[in-house]
Amino acid sequence: MWKAYSLSYMKHNRASGTSIMAAAMTASLFLSLLCGYVYNLWIYEMERVLLEEGEWRSSPAYDLQSGTMPKLLAVYLAILTIVMLSLILIIRNAFEISMHARIHQFGILASVGATPRQIRVCLLQEAAVLGLLPMIFGSLLGIVLSYGVIEAINVFAADVAGRHRAVFSYHPAVFFVTFLSSALTVLFSAWIPAGKLSRMTPLEAIRNTDGFQIKKRKHSRVLALLFGVEGELAGNALKAQRKALRISNISLTLSFLAFSIMLCFTTLSDISTRYTYFARYQDAWDIMITLPDTEITDFLLTKELQNYSGVQDAVVYQKAEAVTFLPEQLQSDALVSLGGLETVAGIQEAEEKFQVSAPIVILDDTSFLHFCVQTGITPKLDGAIVYNQIWDSVDSNFRYKEYVPFVKGDSRSTTIYGIGSDTQGVKIPVLSYAQTVPALREEYQDYALVHFIPLTLWEKMAEQAGGAESDTYIRILAKGDASLAGLNSLEQEIVRFVSKEYRVESENRVQERLSNDNLIYGMKVILGGFCVLLAVIGIANVFSNTLGFLRQRRREFARYMSIGLTPREMKKLFGIEAFVIAGKPFLITLPLTLLFIQFAVTASYLEPMVFWAEAPVLPVLAFAAAIAAFVSLAYYIGGKRLLQCDLNETLQNDALV
Amino acid sequence: MEILRCEGVEKVFGKGENQVTALGGINLSVERGEFVAVVGASGSGKSTLLHILGSVDKPTKGTVTVDGVCIDKLNATEAAIFRRRKVGLVYQFYNLIPTLTVEKNILLPMLLDRRKPNVEYFQTIVETLGIADKMESLPSQLSGGQQQRVAIARSLVYRPAILFADEPTGNLDRKNAGEIMDLLKLSNRNLKQTILLITHDEKIALEADRIVTIEDGRIAGDQKRR
Repeated sequence: MWKAYSLSYMKHNRASGTSIMAAAMTASLFLSLLCGYVYNLWIYEMERVLLEEGEWRSSPAYDLQSGTMPKLLAVYLAILTIVMLSLILIIRNAFEISMHARIHQFGILASVGATPRQIRVCLLQEAAVLGLLPMIFGSLLGIVLSYGVIEAINVFAADVAGRHRAVFSYHPAVFFVTFLSSALTVLFSAWIPAGKLSRMTPLEAIRNTDGFQIKKRKHSRVLALLFGVEGELAGNALKAQRKALRISNISLTLSFLAFSIMLCFTTLSDISTRYTYFARYQDAWDIMITLPDTEITDFLLTKELQNYSGVQDAVVYQKAEAVTFLPEQLQSDALVSLGGLETVAGIQEAEEKFQVSAPIVILDDTSFLHFCVQTGITPKLDGAIVYNQIWDSVDSNFRYKEYVPFVKGDSRSTTIYGIGSDTQGVKIPVLSYAQTVPALREEYQDYALVHFIPLTLWEKMAEQAGGAESDTYIRILAKGDASLAGLNSLEQEIVRFVSKEYRVESENRVQERLSNDNLIYGMKVILGGFCVLLAVIGIANVFSNTLGFLRQRRREFARYMSIGLTPREMKKLFGIEAFVIAGKPFLITLPLTLLFIQFAVTASYLEPMVFWAEAPVLPVLAFAAAIAAFVSLAYYIGGKRLLQCDLNETLQNDALV
Repeated sequence: MEILRCEGVEKVFGKGENQVTALGGINLSVERGEFVAVVGASGSGKSTLLHILGSVDKPTKGTVTVDGVCIDKLNATEAAIFRRRKVGLVYQFYNLIPTLTVEKNILLPMLLDRRKPNVEYFQTIVETLGIADKMESLPSQLSGGQQQRVAIARSLVYRPAILFADEPTGNLDRKNAGEIMDLLKLSNRNLKQTILLITHDEKIALEADRIVTIEDGRIAGDQKRR
């Protein structure tokens, strides 16, 4: 009997069956995507450990031998549980609508002796039958989607240093876990409304008047003001549907909020990187060669590189760490007027001297001589040029820095102490105090006295000073306009030339910029994809509601019709409801996004107009328009079907069968 | 003066073998201020007739004129506006809007027209019907009898040409049913309201000035009592 009843219901109520199937498929898709992605993450980590360490060893993240649950597995199980619970809350509505529509029927069945258990089992069987194929299809689609996500990450993060390409893999056990979690999610989603329904007394069920009710008086003042009595009716109907629309509201609002903030964040991040890195070093480098574990004194190809075809300028340099002790009276007048080193840099005075960082940049002799010319002094190789600037942190922020002279600049020598060396310090002549630096891709500390010295001088003092970093760098500026193809080709040639004798790592400015753009774009695509998926859940929920209109709202609209509401006014009601559902995410998101922008722009010391000139207004509006279009479509279909059906009969009955 | 006229009204549902004739040529005329009861057994076609007279449904054949307007020619919008302004409909199951307060439910036909109610008339109705203190309540907070009074108030608020009541006491106990009938009679006498009442209960029908009997979709009797 139950089988025949269920089959007949499913056959004649395809709309509610479709929404259940869509819900089951959505749940399976998400779970499959999660399981597939986490499995691949685990495989990738194993590969990474193997590549880096040569063999598989248990790490804190995958402590398989200790007998405790591996951390990644524990995190995965926690996330899986949270996702399952969220999905139960989300798709439960589809089951609730379908079951709610049949309360009267189950009341009749109960009145003739059907037990609550029989009703519950009937509903769960229906859910299982309707959900089986969508669960399989959703799981397979999830696998395809997780493959897509892995490949997308490979594409967008192709140039990330130290990352190897992930190869998509899958295991039958993952499918088993996916299908099991999908089945549990679907059955629990059906269990909740089925349990509620089976607990109703036959009388309650038969008397169920259907339609939406509200428990307290509500006033939709804004909508009434905007749209008149239709606004009030729509507002109250929405309030009565609050529970059914909760998931739509949450999903649409969260997706829109996440999308807007993600785009604003990436835009800000892009602007910030450009201002602090790409714009600042635009003319400082085209190609950078790093010679790992190579002393500048051991590099012998400087002259050949500087004369290399296609190279306009090449500087070979190494950095060393050192400090100096600055007597109080040597501070510049500008620095003293700002409150001295203590106020500007927070450096504490000890025995009337300040310990100041004095990093050393050792330039090849030719480049140092050019720097001498640049600073306007006679080119010589027996002293240092000191970069005499300190950031005025009192009157300027880190984004738009202003500088004042660091020291008075009348001292003709300085004593520096290499970090890690136990020497008494090295006294070196100062050729000049400069306000400029040579064009290198370097960012100098804000409160440091940088010493540029020639290689010849370093050879004499290296042993005494110490503190040299392990790598040597070659900064190359290319001739002509640096195109990506030109720089790639020059980079390859130079790498080939230098790598004959030295181990090298290289990068070029245009490629790095493209890689950075690619990474940001990839982040946008992947996070945007998740936002779209979230929005799809919300829209699916709206569709599931509006497809259930015929059963849920027939009586409500029959009443409107009997009072004299015209078809146009009824359409207006639908329009207002769609407007509110689609508009709410926008209205909630707008102030929150503006607050975020205000906070982020202030925190990053950017001029607001710099952000607004590049603000992602169009994509955000397009996202909002897409939400509005789909919600309108759902209401158009649901409303059209409702208005097309014969509402007269409804007016005579107290319950819908 | 004639307020309602039906000529040869037929209503057929379904097609071919499933065809059912609900009304088979109804001719009926109602004078202004009359209280007419239409009686008939279940399935005799009386509710179908009421829907056609109330412009909720259209006849398959024949014409219906209410207050000089031929309503069978109206399109959906015109019919809705006609229903709003010219007729009052009272159903067995009240059909109030559950999300609006009693006051808003009563005023709804006027609010749809963006019209302000006559406060004095509104007060007269709600006081006569005994629901003046329920204005801020929701329908679900009222008893069946009170809900039906609200439905009657709503049907009267626009001073309709005719009030159609479909088994208005069918869902009420005897005491409430008696009170509702008294109120309908009161509105007929004091407000000169024309009423067409549909019922299967002959005792209720006896309260009317005239009883029209329907059998198998045809008028089988028309008896003036006063």
